[in-house]
Amino acid sequence: MRSDALPLAALLLGVGLLAYPANAQSNESSSSNDARQNDSNTPGQVKGPRSPAEETAARDAEIPVEKSKIRWHLGTISVGVGYSSGPYYGPYGFYPYGPYGLYPGDWVYSSLWYPMWGGYPYYGPGSFNYNSGRGEVRLTADPKVAEVYIDGAYAGTADRLKSMWLDPGAYDLTVSAKDRESFHQRVYVLSGKSLKITAKLGSDGTKEKL
Amino acid sequence: MSRRTWWTAVVVGCAALAVAGPKGTVPRATVERYRIHTVRDGIGVGVVLLSQEQVRKTFVSDVDRCCVVAEIALYPAKDKALEVSLNDFALRTGGTETATKAASAKLVAMSLQRKAGSGRDITVSPTVGVGYESAGYDPITGGRTGGGMTRSAGVMVGVGGSGPKAGSTDKDRAAMEIELDEKGLPEGSASAPVSGYVYFPGVSRKKGAALQIECVMNGNKVVLNLPQ
Repeated sequence: MRSDALPLAALLLGVGLLAYPANAQSNESSSSNDARQNDSNTPGQVKGPRSPAEETAARDAEIPVEKSKIRWHLGTISVGVGYSSGPYYGPYGFYPYGPYGLYPGDWVYSSLWYPMWGGYPYYGPGSFNYNSGRGEVRLTADPKVAEVYIDGAYAGTADRLKSMWLDPGAYDLTVSAKDRESFHQRVYVLSGKSLKITAKLGSDGTKEKL
Repeated sequence: MSRRTWWTAVVVGCAALAVAGPKGTVPRATVERYRIHTVRDGIGVGVVLLSQEQVRKTFVSDVDRCCVVAEIALYPAKDKALEVSLNDFALRTGGTETATKAASAKLVAMSLQRKAGSGRDITVSPTVGVGYESAGYDPITGGRTGGGMTRSAGVMVGVGGSGPKAGSTDKDRAAMEIELDEKGLPEGSASAPVSGYVYFPGVSRKKGAALQIECVMNGNKVVLNLPQ
């Protein structure tokens, strides 16, 4: 134990000695600035009248020139604290955080994705998760890998969206696949209600002719 | 953005506009295609009374709880626009003097929201438990106790709920209003055939009771007898 402590103490001492001149230098620079300020404000000094150009030059000379360097700033730290009475087992698995938990990814979606998509909504991960205030849309599509659009925004492929939980409202649902006719339907979602939609995409006759 | 993505965006956008644009339902080719129809002064009126089962299939909202729903199609006279207003429609139960006027989507949605919010939910959950208890020491006597199988059974009864009831929130009301409005008979000036659903609230459908739909078309009253 003692043999370990000695090299550690020596290491700390070395770090301290190396760090000291840097601190001392920074203190010096700040103190010299203070001194210069004091000089300019020293009462009793009589100076002759200066021309405006000289005044500007003198003022510029007083501004300390900063060396270009990388500055590291610590931004606002957001910490969310919540309370959950226990883990919640919904129909789609286990959610470790309660409704007031910390979701560090939320601001990323809101700040980065929304401006890129403009007026279209963005359906990020968890957009279709179960919620007691939502209604369910059960989608069956043929082909299963058809692309699903809700209100014009891409939501995912049909095989991954067999069950979508959406807020109450009216939505334009579009299911489309390559070389197939698109399926469009206006869907109305109410909380606690389940809506079953079967989208069978017919073959696109116009493309077949070509 | 690739060419394919552009095309997809254009198609989806057009589809969204096409779906959101027109209101009501698609009228049949001619008024004669409706089993119950009449033509007066060149104006044709066709009616289909929806059964409760049909209403349940057609609407996500529980309209069958409060209303009698009829699909009404209007065919204006040639080169003459027709003013369509819900105030011109009424439903009369045979043998009574009272008639019910057609209600707006907003009114029906409010009524449905209130109905969904009323009432009480009672949940009954039976519970059955089977377990095994290992041997231990009795804390009072200090003696060794025997283990064995344990069985339990019970019933949990829950009244009410912490969350909002299905279909009772303001968002639900707004969604119901949109649905009823978009599927409803479009109001205003019509120079081409129009059709849509008309809602008559508070009408009880008694078996054997005859129903009549009265509508006023350009000042003329038209009565259509509906099948029992």
